[in-house]
Amino acid sequence: MFLAIFLFELKYRLKRPATWIYFIILFLMAFLLVTAAGGGFGAGVNVSIGGDGQAVKINAPFSVTITVAVLSVFGVIIASSLMGNPVYRDFEYRTHPLFYTTPISKIGYLGGRFVGSYLIAVLVFSGIGVGAGLASVMPWLEHDRFLASTPLGTYVWPYLMMVLPNLLFTGAIFFTMATLTRNILSTYIGAVLLLVAYLVSTAYLEDLKNEHLVASLDAFGLSALNFTTRYWTAAEKNSQLLPLSSYLLLNRAVWLSVGLGLLAYCYTRFRFSALASEKVSRKARRELAAEAQAEAGVARPLGLQLPRVTQVFSGGMSLRQWWSLTQLEFRGIVRSRYFAAIAGAGVIFLLANASQVGKTFDTPTFPVTSEVVQLTLGSFFLFQLAIIIFYSGELVWRERQAGVAQIADAVPVPSWVPFLSKLMALWLVQVVLLTIVMVCGILIQTFKGYFHYEIPLYLRALFLFQLPFLMLMCVLAMVTQVVVNNKYLGFAVVVVYYVANIFRGQLGLGHRLLGYGGGSNPGPYSAMNGYGHFLPAFWWTKLLWAGVALLLVLAATLLWVRGTDTTGRLQEARRRWSTGSTATLVLGLLISLGTGAFIFYNTNVLNEYRSPKENEKRQVAYEKQYRRYKNVRLPRITAVSLNTDLYPSTRAVRFRGQFMLVNKHAQPLDTVIVSVPVEQHPRVRHLAVGAPGQATLALNDTTFGFRLYRLARPLAPGDSLPLDLDLFYQERGFPNSGSNTDLVYNGTFINSGYLPGLGYREDAELSGDQDRKNYGLKPKPRMANVNDLKARQNTYISNDADWIRFRTTVSTEADQTAVAPGYLRKEWVQDGRRYFTYVMDRPMLNFYTFLSARYKEYKDQWVDSVGQRTIPITIYYQPGHEYNLKRMAAGAKDALAYCSRNFSPYQHQQLRILEFPQYQAFAQSFANTVPFSEAIGFVADVDDQNPEDLNYPYYVTAHEVAHQWWAHQVIGGNVQGSTLMAESMAEYSALMVLSHHNGPTTMQRFLKFDMNRYLQGRAFEQKKEVPLALVENQQYIHYRKGSVVMYALQDYMGEAKLNGALKQYVAAVGYQQPPYTNSPEFIGYLRRAAPDSLQPFLTDMFERITLYDNRVTAATAKKLPDGRYQVNFTVRSEKFYADSLGNQRPTPLRDYLPVAVFPEQGKDKKPVAPLLLTKRRLAAGDNKLQFIVARKPATVAVDPYHEIVDRILDDNEKDVKL
Amino acid sequence: MALTISNLTKTYPNGTQALKGVTLTIPNGMFGLLGPNGAGKSSLMRTIATLQDADTGSIWLDDLDVLRDKEAVRRVLGYLPQEFGVYPSVSAEELLNHFATLKGIASSKERKEMVAALLHQTNLYEVRKKHVGGYSGGMKQRFGIAQALLGNPRLIIVDEPTAGLDPAERNRFHNLLSEIGENLVVILSTHIVSDVSDLCRHMAIINKGEVLLTGDPLSVINNLKGKIWRKLIEKTELPALQARHQVISSRLFAGKTVVHILADSAPDGDSEAVAPDLEDVYFAEIKKYESGIKNGVVA
Repeated sequence: MFLAIFLFELKYRLKRPATWIYFIILFLMAFLLVTAAGGGFGAGVNVSIGGDGQAVKINAPFSVTITVAVLSVFGVIIASSLMGNPVYRDFEYRTHPLFYTTPISKIGYLGGRFVGSYLIAVLVFSGIGVGAGLASVMPWLEHDRFLASTPLGTYVWPYLMMVLPNLLFTGAIFFTMATLTRNILSTYIGAVLLLVAYLVSTAYLEDLKNEHLVASLDAFGLSALNFTTRYWTAAEKNSQLLPLSSYLLLNRAVWLSVGLGLLAYCYTRFRFSALASEKVSRKARRELAAEAQAEAGVARPLGLQLPRVTQVFSGGMSLRQWWSLTQLEFRGIVRSRYFAAIAGAGVIFLLANASQVGKTFDTPTFPVTSEVVQLTLGSFFLFQLAIIIFYSGELVWRERQAGVAQIADAVPVPSWVPFLSKLMALWLVQVVLLTIVMVCGILIQTFKGYFHYEIPLYLRALFLFQLPFLMLMCVLAMVTQVVVNNKYLGFAVVVVYYVANIFRGQLGLGHRLLGYGGGSNPGPYSAMNGYGHFLPAFWWTKLLWAGVALLLVLAATLLWVRGTDTTGRLQEARRRWSTGSTATLVLGLLISLGTGAFIFYNTNVLNEYRSPKENEKRQVAYEKQYRRYKNVRLPRITAVSLNTDLYPSTRAVRFRGQFMLVNKHAQPLDTVIVSVPVEQHPRVRHLAVGAPGQATLALNDTTFGFRLYRLARPLAPGDSLPLDLDLFYQERGFPNSGSNTDLVYNGTFINSGYLPGLGYREDAELSGDQDRKNYGLKPKPRMANVNDLKARQNTYISNDADWIRFRTTVSTEADQTAVAPGYLRKEWVQDGRRYFTYVMDRPMLNFYTFLSARYKEYKDQWVDSVGQRTIPITIYYQPGHEYNLKRMAAGAKDALAYCSRNFSPYQHQQLRILEFPQYQAFAQSFANTVPFSEAIGFVADVDDQNPEDLNYPYYVTAHEVAHQWWAHQVIGGNVQGSTLMAESMAEYSALMVLSHHNGPTTMQRFLKFDMNRYLQGRAFEQKKEVPLALVENQQYIHYRKGSVVMYALQDYMGEAKLNGALKQYVAAVGYQQPPYTNSPEFIGYLRRAAPDSLQPFLTDMFERITLYDNRVTAATAKKLPDGRYQVNFTVRSEKFYADSLGNQRPTPLRDYLPVAVFPEQGKDKKPVAPLLLTKRRLAAGDNKLQFIVARKPATVAVDPYHEIVDRILDDNEKDVKL
Repeated sequence: MALTISNLTKTYPNGTQALKGVTLTIPNGMFGLLGPNGAGKSSLMRTIATLQDADTGSIWLDDLDVLRDKEAVRRVLGYLPQEFGVYPSVSAEELLNHFATLKGIASSKERKEMVAALLHQTNLYEVRKKHVGGYSGGMKQRFGIAQALLGNPRLIIVDEPTAGLDPAERNRFHNLLSEIGENLVVILSTHIVSDVSDLCRHMAIINKGEVLLTGDPLSVINNLKGKIWRKLIEKTELPALQARHQVISSRLFAGKTVVHILADSAPDGDSEAVAPDLEDVYFAEIKKYESGIKNGVVA
């Protein structure tokens, strides 16, 4: 019985086109994905899920596993259709009476159908693996992105581990839902809900501490997969199949049992009956009675007498009919259960995401309206899109589906009425949804205790910007349905369009004239600058697409199917053509062509439009033409004196002034090469070297901004030469994309990059190895070798100067304040403009900035007890952003105190912190000047009572202030390892400031945060990981590993000893001339201060990639007669060295590692001081340790504060068994 | 007021010839269009109702060109399609009111009166708040005729309105149709002979896209007077009988087979003359047409 039904199911489904269509869809998704990742669509297209083919190969077991797992999650929609169908089919085709009256067994019927469908689903999903596998051997791919041979089981194992269990579980849900409710739509809703539940849970689960719980709660196993592989290095990703980790085993066991449980439930509840439920509800019974009464009523025997009515057929009446239809359609949508289901799912998702409002360092920012709007719109958008696509089909097909088409088509309304009313209804639905979004946003703010609702901002973002975009999307979806005239094909066309639209830019079709609808918002919102200069481009683009939409609507009304005949639609369209149609056509053409031309004028004439490909070609041409000038000896800039006139309201700036150039070489020089920053489109009004006649412009390439001057008389060693300049920048119209966010109405933030430099610009070269290869260029090292003496002639931030004298007079508009490095010497107003003269009193790096905004000032000061002086601290901020000024000032003061006490005196007489708009999210240190983004810190919501909250306004400020030493006093050469002395040291200083501020016991969270980022960062390394001493500007190494290593070092060496060495180092290399210091020199100072016993430790930390695996495996304690406690525990420890690709080999271990015993935590969950904290020499394998502590122990730990790079952080601690 | 159809032909994309040169003149009053399933009735009805185009031919409603000036036709049209559904979750009253707007009744007071009157007339007033989707077949057909009567239709088309109704409900529906005024054109298409004989003063029989006969029911029945003979036979005798005589219909009765034979005189001894009815006319015409095809003589 079972076998017969099962075989029939297989045969039947194999013959269904749907089975193969689904197979092909999944096949194509995987095939295209791998082709794109493998360079099949050209270098511009960069898509990758698992590995990008650089270090991690695209067909590596890890990449294949991720591809299969992720695509199979999106395949849930397909699974719902496959697995909901088998029993439901009998109801759909009304064949159930035939089956249910035969003597088949329940287990045979349900089992046969389920197992048959399950196998079909497995077959369909095998399309992913087949597609990925086949794509990877295609001849047009770049074969160095693939493994030559994949390990056995690469394509099969992910199925056994991920897909088969997932399909069983999801299949069980859909099968059970469709079988028991006998309503196929419930399974689609089920699929949507399942995906939402999944997304919600993953968003929430991130915050959960118990990783096994997180791993087992995620139904698709992706979290378990992630936990298992998160710290895998490239080598491991390329060679290992997914192991049966505890995360995966637990997860699979949980969800397989849930699936089987559901099937058992389905089996017990299923009945061979015609109705889903045999109970008739009381309401239904009452209605039946009323109906019977009406049926029984005898027809009235009077003649048909109907009142006379007047029929009106006019334009006005058509409008009323349109409105009446609109209302009917609108009610039809909002009353339907599916609308409620999708919108409800969207709201749940949105509210769930609320916990993520602007988190930085795991600490939330205040839910300011612009953030909330962005978050709510972003999370709701996919649901809104789903509603648009789904209901465009429902609306267009509504009459035909309901069978009322013949009546509706024969009523005397013009043919434009039905389409326009449906469109209007869908528009109204968008208004309703956006209103829901707004209410949710206000609720989120209220629940977070934030009551500064900016209603006008809500209205603007939702109804002025988002709504027109959605309306245009509605037009597209509806018109597609009308034109295609097949609902499912229509869905497919729209979905394909959206997907294609994502990759538009990468295919070289990134012009805004090709992106139907334009953007959903004008650009990023900044509290300082509002929507700023983004608005004109936004509105012109919207107007263009409104014109196009008008044409589309015209086509749809003409092609609207009316009647049962769809063959002669063009003929019918001709019949429907009226003067109104002509007028619409003309208007639509006028708008779209007119605005199109205007936009083109802005993007391609006033501004330059280049595709990514053209940009690459430009870089290549620059390198090929001018790289030969790389080693030409040039003078160095020694002084900069500028008149900087900022015009924020017209977004212009003019630089007039002089650089002083000095020949610092031993030989005379006859050439000066000047690089003009052409990317910013300056107008060079004057640019001259030396006095008239002293130099001739021998080469002036305006395309690349490359100028070569020949000196009439060679410049003798030590002689100087002025460079006079007058550059004007003005933003004109709007570019296609990447509009300038430095020069803005309020919050201008530009730096020395706007000024000319000397020599060939190596940083303008194409950098990716693969990209270089495509253009026949040799790969270039990310950075010069650590000991490259030639490269050490420059600092890592400037290649044309050492230390410069700097002065500038900045002018700006009357209501703004302009700031630059230096001290304010003079301030005046002239012709309605404000002028500020800033002079720096000592040499500084050739690295400066100009800021201008309508600032408020917060003043504080730091009393320098070492230097017997008072240093004023000023924070220039946007009014309204007062939340964290005190914390920032405290961070600045503590960092100034710590660094000047431990390293060297603070070199300046003041410190200024300046807010800039959130177009970029960083803070940056210039000489006595720290620009600080409004996105990080200014609106941070730090709860001082919550031990989990990182006080990052304090921390980031401390980091930036520490840069006044680490970068502005000590700076490394342009070689590997130099950011160790800048970023790692700024990070170390900030950590120590924090440690003194909060107490060392609170540092675990910071260090764990950094350690996690390091481990994740190395897992995503694209080229090669290097030891800390050779860091090549890799953030996960110089920030994350650097901070942990330096913190560990002060623990091992002692803070005073380490800082003593650092003080000597600063004294030796501070403000030095070339060659600049490098990391071996730095480490030398540390080595000399460290005892012999720590030398191997230093080697491991700085010069090797060293990893440990430390865990506590057992812990017991007993009370001693004297009231103290004896604690016994076992630490299992291993140590590895890794190579640059992450291949690791075990290495003998005899290192001292910290171990600790902790008492019970208090109710406030704040970290407690350990009962015992000491270092023990540990060997590889199990180490049995015994301690006696004074009070009752609760937990024991190895490396409790995460100072040691440990691949798994969460097994370091264990509760003590008493 | 009359509807003149001349030489209407229609071939569907799949090759089916639905209408082969249909020519009909339909005067005021109830006009019955009788034909078996697939005769082309609905194609003809839909063409008149502006829902599909014809390949050739013309339809005029007085001086209105139905095939070209669809908008004007729709203003005077009431149409009840053969099969129809309704919007889910909308009550009868709401839906009628909506259709009244679409039919151009601008005044909401007039709309309300009209809808109320129609609901009363069709005996749906008690259930006017119920969703039409929950109506029984008969109620739904009554709702259908109500919507067709909205406005001031001068041309009413009802396509197979009684199919699937039980006898009582059909009777009720006949009563309702018979109330529709005499000075409009009402076309009733059906395959049920009694619909036509009960209600219509003019009729046409149509099969395979061709008009076989037009006239008024009484006179076409008269034409067969004395030519219809009834005979009781065993089932096995039927083929032989069909070979010898023009058997126009046969049905089972109490285990035997009753056949009607068309003949000018008694075909044999044990057949008795019966008074012809419209059904005999119908079967005789269909038979004639089919044997005509068999003999290669297309009528």
